Amino acid sequence: MFHNRAEAYALALPAAVFAAIVFLVPVGLLLSEGLHGPGGWSLSAYVQFFSEPLNQKIFLRTLKLGLMVTATAAVIGYATAYAIVSMPAGTKGRMIGLVVLPMMISPVARTYAWIVILGRTGIVNEALKFVGLTDAPIRFLFTETAVFLGLLQLFLPLMIISLVSALENLPKDAVPAARILGANWLQVFVKIILPLTREGLIVGGTLVFTGSLTAYITPAILGGSKVLMLETLLYQQVTVASNFPAASVIAFLLIAMSFSANILLRRIATARSGK
Amino acid sequence: MTRNILAPLTLGLVLLFLIGPFIIIVAASFSAGETLAFPPQGFSFKWIAKVFTVESFRQSFGTSLFLAIGGTLAALILGIPAAYAMSRYRLPGAETVRFMVSLPIVVPGIVVGLALLRYFVIPAGVPILLALFLAHTALILPYAVRVVSASLANLRSDMEEAAVILGASRIGAFVRVVLPNIRGGILAAFILGFVTSFNQVPVSLFLSGPGVRTLPIDMLGYMEIVFDPSIAALSSLLAFLSIGIVLLAERFLGFSRYV
Amino acid sequence: MSFLRLDGLTLAYGKTPAVEGLNLDIHRGELIALLGPSGCGKTTTMRAIAGLMPVRAGQITLDGRDITRVAANRREVGLVFQSYALFPHLTVFENVAFGLRLKGMSGKALEDKVMAAIASVGLTPFAQRKTPDMSGGQQQRVALARSMVMEPKVLMLDEPLSNLDARLRLEMRTELQRVQKKTGLTMIFVTHDQIEALALADRIVVMRNGAIEQIGTPEDIYNRPESAFVADFVGFETIFALKDGAMVTKGEPVPVPDAPAGAAALAWRPRAVTFGEGRFEGTVLSSSFAGSAREYLLDTPLGPVKAEVDAALPAHDLGATVRFDLPVATAAALRRAE
Repeated sequence: MFHNRAEAYALALPAAVFAAIVFLVPVGLLLSEGLHGPGGWSLSAYVQFFSEPLNQKIFLRTLKLGLMVTATAAVIGYATAYAIVSMPAGTKGRMIGLVVLPMMISPVARTYAWIVILGRTGIVNEALKFVGLTDAPIRFLFTETAVFLGLLQLFLPLMIISLVSALENLPKDAVPAARILGANWLQVFVKIILPLTREGLIVGGTLVFTGSLTAYITPAILGGSKVLMLETLLYQQVTVASNFPAASVIAFLLIAMSFSANILLRRIATARSGK
Repeated sequence: MTRNILAPLTLGLVLLFLIGPFIIIVAASFSAGETLAFPPQGFSFKWIAKVFTVESFRQSFGTSLFLAIGGTLAALILGIPAAYAMSRYRLPGAETVRFMVSLPIVVPGIVVGLALLRYFVIPAGVPILLALFLAHTALILPYAVRVVSASLANLRSDMEEAAVILGASRIGAFVRVVLPNIRGGILAAFILGFVTSFNQVPVSLFLSGPGVRTLPIDMLGYMEIVFDPSIAALSSLLAFLSIGIVLLAERFLGFSRYV
Repeated sequence: MSFLRLDGLTLAYGKTPAVEGLNLDIHRGELIALLGPSGCGKTTTMRAIAGLMPVRAGQITLDGRDITRVAANRREVGLVFQSYALFPHLTVFENVAFGLRLKGMSGKALEDKVMAAIASVGLTPFAQRKTPDMSGGQQQRVALARSMVMEPKVLMLDEPLSNLDARLRLEMRTELQRVQKKTGLTMIFVTHDQIEALALADRIVVMRNGAIEQIGTPEDIYNRPESAFVADFVGFETIFALKDGAMVTKGEPVPVPDAPAGAAALAWRPRAVTFGEGRFEGTVLSSSFAGSAREYLLDTPLGPVKAEVDAALPAHDLGATVRFDLPVATAAALRRAE
């Protein structure tokens, strides 16, 4: 530990000042734009935004999809993470590698694949036609289901990785001990695994939730203008309607949701370290 | 025991879900047909070849490469000293610095892109490429600080004190003792920053202009007009590039230790 | 004329004081131990001498030169860290050569000097090894050679023996003494282990709460502790303060007419307690066998008393009542009761 304060500031300040100028100032200005009415400060932009039923619907849809993706990722994540953790070390490493692999691939490419799968002549429709379940193609693209699948595929790895590290820190004999004491698998999960991996679940959950809220490409490609989410609505408000107060309101909503999730995460992290 | 079948089965299905789309993309890039479909019609390299002939791809690839390399370097130049200050000094306000530097993770990229467009590019005439560069630098900064901080935390600070007592200056101790020992962390931060920047869409969404577009944005634009397998081909090429870099890093550095 | 002088040295971590108004004179060629429990300020003092800790007030003089504000890299002091702080990316040779290279030395002269230093700690075959591959004892030798090769005016060692196993500890102790006698180097080492300090040092500086409690030769410290703190630290288990010519005990005060003049407390080692006969009575709380001796912890009206007797004598059961005495003749008279 060194003690020269001037040196410390000289080292740390450039990064902080840079972030302030590139992030804080413009974003602050953007947010303040939503608080200006015709006669000075006002919440009229917010009132106007939420008085539009479509906007309400989009806001709720964004929240709903975020929560659904997070919940589904948690369920699948536990099963997958448990399967990975119980593997021998070498295989485990390779499996984690496979789970992480998609995160290295451009989200454009990852989302694009879903068009091939869900499109009118995509794999699913061809398969349904082949087994004779339908004769006309079913529309999967531009539905909430498509967006849901795309987001889940995008962010599930984050949940799995968080849960794998949580499960690895589980005391080795906790599960067998509970089994010996007569707990069934559900009880083991609820009473042992869940409480002991809560932090991992929350870390993964925050990452998946904020990721889903702030993803642009997936709702843009798989939802299009039929299934607008806050991000795509923001883009539309700017490029089509030039409605900057509305854009500012959406920006605020996105930041607020992302911030609250991160603050929750930090709370839990500091509660754990006992500060 | 049913569990013994259930666990691998779950894992298999999940991996299929995660990696299947990628395999489809790779297969589609070798299609001989004119439209994107699976299973691919025939086998050819024509779409792979076409990628290299599209002028705008070449241009936007250059832009993305510049942003990823330049942005990551700039983020490291800002981030390494900041990480060092926070780990080695009693820094009043360290929490504020940490908060400022991690802002880009919390604020959605699309908001940042819009804000830069509206308050830097339009009124102040900041060139779009410069705005993109600033945005990407800021975006990578949190990762740079985090990864470098992690490797500094693994390095005992008494090593620098030992160097100083042996006659090194503070900067000398940093260059001779700290840098060689956090090289791996810095390279890991570089790769992570590179991949993050290269794949970044929302920040760049509003920050595009004539001749200045990042590759993912260009791909999005192309898809709206043409629906042929060239996007699949380009995606696979990029994916193999990323995977190749990461595998190399893992092999030589144990990359995953730092991330 | 002292070689290293600390004059009113005051140190603090932020607002927390660590050392206050410390005065210490060390002579050339002395081997000094800074002894005390963790948090007593001994390591902080050492770091201040090395220049790793800013001095709030006071002065440090080394060989006639005021080094209070001199940067750590210009102080001509050596420090062997508790963790050894070797540079893991460098070989043994390069670790030892590090400081000399910074001084601008190179070529044959450098190589000879470095190899001589490596040879002096017996590591010649390991010169080209990377340091993380070496054992703790070897690493410490590298750290020692790395400091010694700089020919510092003072060599300081932070808990030099604490990371070694029992056998290596003895070996290293001999090694340090040998080096010190051979080179005549002034050495200061920090330790919390009184046995280490007693065995190694010419003089021991016992520290407590950022101040010096007592300075003396090992014999002084061991036989003539000045305070209850030092007495307790060097193994006096039974200590009673004196007030108005009587010992203050848990029960009734016990008059001590023959107490030495000026004594503020009396202290007994377990060996010094008369067991089996005497003025007092206690019950055996615990008894533990330690080879040649047996140790009893007694519950007495005076308070707990620890006594050590020859193991050849018949053992007493737990709960047995035994007589004992605390003779003034075998007690150490303390000048401070705290």
